[in-house]
Amino acid sequence: MPASLLRELNSLLGPSNVLHKIEDLVLYEYDGSVEKARPDLVVFPHTTEDVSRILKLATKYNVPIVGRGSGTGLSGGALARGGGTMIVFARMNRILELDLENARAVVQPGVVNLDITRAVEHAGLYFAPDPSSQKSCTIGGNVAENAGGPHTLAYGVTVNHVTALELVLPDGEIVRVGSKHGDTPGYDLCGLFVGSEGTLALVTEITVKLTRKAEAVKTLLAIFDAVDDASNTVAEITARGITPAACEMVDGWTLCAIEDYIHAGFPRDSAAILLVEVEGLREAVEAQAAAVEDVCRTHHAREVRIARDDRERDLLWKGRKNAFGALGRLAPSNYVLDGVIPRSKLPQALQQIQSIGKKYGFSIGNIFHAGDGNLHPIVLYDPRDPQQFENAIAASREIIRYCVELGGALTGEHGVGMEKNELMPLLFSDADFDLMRRVHDAFNPDSSLNPGKIFPLSKGCGEIRVRKQAETLPAHV
Amino acid sequence: MTATANLATRLESVLGAHRVVAAEPELREYAIDGMVPGAIVRPASAQEAAEVARFAITEKLAIVASGSRSKLDLGMPPARYDLALDMTGLHEIAHFDPGDLTLSVDAGMPLRQLARMLAEKGQFLPLAVPCCETSTVAGALASGIDSTLRKQYGTPRDFLIGAEFVDGKGALCKSGGRVVKNVTGYDLHKLLIGSLGTLALITRLNFRTFTLPQAHGGQVACFSNLEGASAYRDAIEKSGLPLANLETLSPEMVAQTAAVLRETSAEFAGRLDPAKWCVYASFEGNEAVVPRIARDLQKLANEAAAAGSEILDAASDAHLGGILREAFDWLRWASPAVALFRIALPQSNPGDLANLLRVAQDSSLRAALLVRAAGIVHFTLFVESENESALHALENAAARVFSLAGAGHGHATLLHAPSKLKSRVNVWGPNRADLGMMRHVKHSFDPRNIFAPGRFVGGI
Amino acid sequence: MRTPANIPGAVPVYEDFARCVHCGLCLNNCPTYRLWHLEGDSPRGRIRQMILVGNGELPLAEGFVGHIDKCLDCRACETACPSGVEYGKLVEHARARIETEYKRPLFARFTRNIVFKRLLPYPNRIAFAARLLRFYQRSGLQSLARASRILKLLGLAERERLLPRIDGHFFFRELGKTFPAQGARRARVAFFAGCIANVTFTKLNEATIRVLTANGCEVVVPSAQLCCGALAAHAGVRETARQLARKNIAAFGGGHFDAILTNAAGCGSTLKEYDHLFSPNEPEHPAAVAFGNSMRDVTEFLATLGLVAPLKETRLRVTYQDSCHLLHGQKVREAPRQLLRAIPGIEFVELPYSDICCGSAGVYNVTQTAASLDLLKEKMDYAKITRATTIVTANPGCLLQLRAGAEIHKTGQNVVHVVELLDSVLKQS
Repeated sequence: MPASLLRELNSLLGPSNVLHKIEDLVLYEYDGSVEKARPDLVVFPHTTEDVSRILKLATKYNVPIVGRGSGTGLSGGALARGGGTMIVFARMNRILELDLENARAVVQPGVVNLDITRAVEHAGLYFAPDPSSQKSCTIGGNVAENAGGPHTLAYGVTVNHVTALELVLPDGEIVRVGSKHGDTPGYDLCGLFVGSEGTLALVTEITVKLTRKAEAVKTLLAIFDAVDDASNTVAEITARGITPAACEMVDGWTLCAIEDYIHAGFPRDSAAILLVEVEGLREAVEAQAAAVEDVCRTHHAREVRIARDDRERDLLWKGRKNAFGALGRLAPSNYVLDGVIPRSKLPQALQQIQSIGKKYGFSIGNIFHAGDGNLHPIVLYDPRDPQQFENAIAASREIIRYCVELGGALTGEHGVGMEKNELMPLLFSDADFDLMRRVHDAFNPDSSLNPGKIFPLSKGCGEIRVRKQAETLPAHV
Repeated sequence: MTATANLATRLESVLGAHRVVAAEPELREYAIDGMVPGAIVRPASAQEAAEVARFAITEKLAIVASGSRSKLDLGMPPARYDLALDMTGLHEIAHFDPGDLTLSVDAGMPLRQLARMLAEKGQFLPLAVPCCETSTVAGALASGIDSTLRKQYGTPRDFLIGAEFVDGKGALCKSGGRVVKNVTGYDLHKLLIGSLGTLALITRLNFRTFTLPQAHGGQVACFSNLEGASAYRDAIEKSGLPLANLETLSPEMVAQTAAVLRETSAEFAGRLDPAKWCVYASFEGNEAVVPRIARDLQKLANEAAAAGSEILDAASDAHLGGILREAFDWLRWASPAVALFRIALPQSNPGDLANLLRVAQDSSLRAALLVRAAGIVHFTLFVESENESALHALENAAARVFSLAGAGHGHATLLHAPSKLKSRVNVWGPNRADLGMMRHVKHSFDPRNIFAPGRFVGGI
Repeated sequence: MRTPANIPGAVPVYEDFARCVHCGLCLNNCPTYRLWHLEGDSPRGRIRQMILVGNGELPLAEGFVGHIDKCLDCRACETACPSGVEYGKLVEHARARIETEYKRPLFARFTRNIVFKRLLPYPNRIAFAARLLRFYQRSGLQSLARASRILKLLGLAERERLLPRIDGHFFFRELGKTFPAQGARRARVAFFAGCIANVTFTKLNEATIRVLTANGCEVVVPSAQLCCGALAAHAGVRETARQLARKNIAAFGGGHFDAILTNAAGCGSTLKEYDHLFSPNEPEHPAAVAFGNSMRDVTEFLATLGLVAPLKETRLRVTYQDSCHLLHGQKVREAPRQLLRAIPGIEFVELPYSDICCGSAGVYNVTQTAASLDLLKEKMDYAKITRATTIVTANPGCLLQLRAGAEIHKTGQNVVHVVELLDSVLKQS
């Protein structure tokens, strides 16, 4: 990293917005995933102009750039795989405009997802995409990864709620795509940029749709004694055309860990639970809740509880949204997978995951968006044991391959990042890559933006890339 | 004729004679704004479509793909038009998993046929577009034309989950997949929506499907002026009532709709008052939801001091809804020459609509306004002949509409215009700042510019 | 690899650190991260630094010390953390380590030594210092100092505002007394009076005793009690904290109380966690666990016991700022709200972001004044939005801070402790 780049960035942003000491940089080499990569510099822009100037400097010095929000990502999308300068958007966190009449908000990328809802809920509105990290993750990160969440089953993922973007291209050019209202003539560039994982441009302003809160909501908790019964229930809810706002599944084993954390009254002896939420007009909610309950009972639910008030409902959701972290209680490390399957294949997929776990000697937890077919198997392992670590990787690879075999996809919401780029050939042909690469190069010709992501670096079908080195912790402990 | 004959012969050598047509009368059916292709090719598979693309690359030819050709008047005429690629030969269901509510269907599948097949399983695809009797699924998607179910189900961006297509290098490519949630790789398929065939030859589309609602209903409420209608509309939006469709019709639009209704001679229980502004709401749901919405709407209409309001039963609602869905189709033939604008505007400002009507008044043109859900306005200007003064009037009006839309933070395009007007007015409106990026996209998909050159925004 | 210093008491083990899966869910709950958006000043980043320092991959130097010093120890991250990372335990250990291995600048060492080791543990010294301060406040010296520019010149103007007002009489004189229950005795409790509270929150302590006795509690105030040691423990002065713990355990031992109560959430969370100061194999550990188990915050205790004393109807719009060590340290959220709602005529409105620290945090407002005031400003902005006339909280430190906030930002709001409000609406019997 050239010293003159540091000087120029210091004079551009002020020293308080530039980190260059190793002791600071090591705190930006991780995110929510198991990946690791250290940037050479970290900068905090406050305006779009700042971002543009930083990119011009990066071009001048030929250093890679990666954007980052809160660093809660699960595929290493916001890690500086190629070193270089990391742009942290956390200080670009102003809500620029609330247009409640037209149900739009214009925000900077560093605004925290849940803070949008907090700013508009007084008007009966909210921002629908609700990733589990929503109290920390930024909207910029959501846009980059096209983040989902439990309620995307009914309301769609981030892309369905973004109508316009301001972008900065690698050469520093500032461009706007989409519009606040309706759509603009031409290609759906917004649709292309959302979910491009920061490999095409950096997002500096986002216009999002706000959704009106439903008149009524019912949250059901169905308790099952067999995992098969729960997965058959989901398949039938889908097949019957009931469209819940969310339909989440948690296996019994994972549930115990959650219960230890939040004490929501989840049963400790169940095989699986379903958390199903229906929303809409009172009449529709009544009918749907009854239909869901009926399907649950048909598939031998031991018990179906309905949250009596907002507090009970919040508690149930708190359990679901904190599920991944709660597993930190069970083992020193865990690896959260993210695969998608057709919903009709749910029962067989869960059976297969279980037998893969058995084969490698792991307990594999399942907490996932069942209604979307978006699986999140969680492999718990102890990184101090190299064999366990190897097995965890092998089991994960096998599960993801199986998802693809069933007609599914590599990732439903966490992104490809540097975790799954070597698995991409499972789904895409050389011609597909060729076209994606041309689109990439049209915007990011020198791969200066977020290099080493999405595209496989090696030829042929590779591996899930998980940090090879086991985590080290203080010697005295 | 020799060049064309040669072209056909050379094509036949690639695909076989039965796939190629070069007879004059048939060629004319594929004309776009008077431009006639050199030959028609009817591929029967994605591979054959790819072969045509590769042939076009070697021979430096321009291809315009089409389905039922119901909306060839969209966009600008192509700069070159050598081959018409008729995609109706690709019409199979590749995959339908009713239990997963996902569907994979060939480009040329007619929407009507698809709807019948899905209905057998109680499902549907919310692409309620004009010319739905003939339209193909890829044609509807590539045209970018609005679906009247947009308010409830969104645009194809919200339910297209993957696509297969031939890119401008003649390679078979895909993006997305067959599952409802997927962030693997770039969402290139979203770019195909409304791309008017300028990026790739769509061969197959993957969708999520939806369950058919149990019951339907509608309401028509009349108001003596635009402000009243707009206020009612706002009240409905604020109420949060889930509607499938919500349209506001100007008196002229009401009159024309009523006329079409009469022609169809179907049972229609409602009354449309051609002297009034009308708000049409359509809704669906279960047997309890539909009457509840009807009740709430009637209450809102009373509070908004509607000049009249009535609830439509399912049949009447389907009838009126169908006619309005087809509005694009019949409006463009409603007078000897028509300029039909599509304008995206913020919903909250009725002043913008009044300004549009003023444009018509100033040019002494008859005009109809149809405000669709989500702020999409169809603004139609009628002239009685395609003479110079009429064209001149339309040209001036178009300039004003484009600038009005821009001033209102919206965007206007011409969905339909007399061919002669297209040589004076770019139907896509003034270029926007993102044109450079669009060119990047076009170039990466179609580096040799073989797909529908010149049809799209900014001459793409 | 460096050999870690010998730090008395419980030492975090591998699993304590490994529980942090660096998901980042704590970030936006952390007041200092919200202020500066620096990973180094987030719980996740601080834990990572502790690990790196532990491994010898990061020096125990200015940078690390700065980030750990800036931590409010409000433990909001524990509430946010789904993995159950016991951050408070980790940060206090890190501070203890800094205390033994890091040489602070001379002045800082001097003042820390005076405050934590030479002042707080000794009631007579507190009383002496308080009299001096009272003299400053009452003799006209304060007005003089405020009017002159001397405070500004010394850079002390803001800190001076945060100084507590010394009471006319001290609560020390109540130590050793027992206050009988009014009506039938429903419980027998011991009251933990605090240290500085004896000279600055006499009225709060008296109110607490009135509210408890009015609700059928016999209240014993053991005489041998001392400072709880929270400030010392938070600062890493662990041996002092351990000494205080031993003495307090002895002072309250054998009294057969239904509970030991405090009205100071900051003290309460330390008192409940006395066992953290001793490693499981030390002889004090079992008694520390038992002591912790009998500790209750006064709001927690009253909410469970139920109010029986008749209350006057009071037309007030009130809001509630969670005291961090009650909400995050002790996981008590509903009890104070429940008590407020029990007052007839009260209009209760939630304060947005009430779970974020006001910036008081023990001695934080003195050691990190700028950050503390930034947090306070945001707090008061939200307090204004509530249009409440009274801000209620549950810890003396928060009271001081919020009172200063109301004064500095001219919100005109009254700031009281939950029990003070209850006391004010007790019907005289």
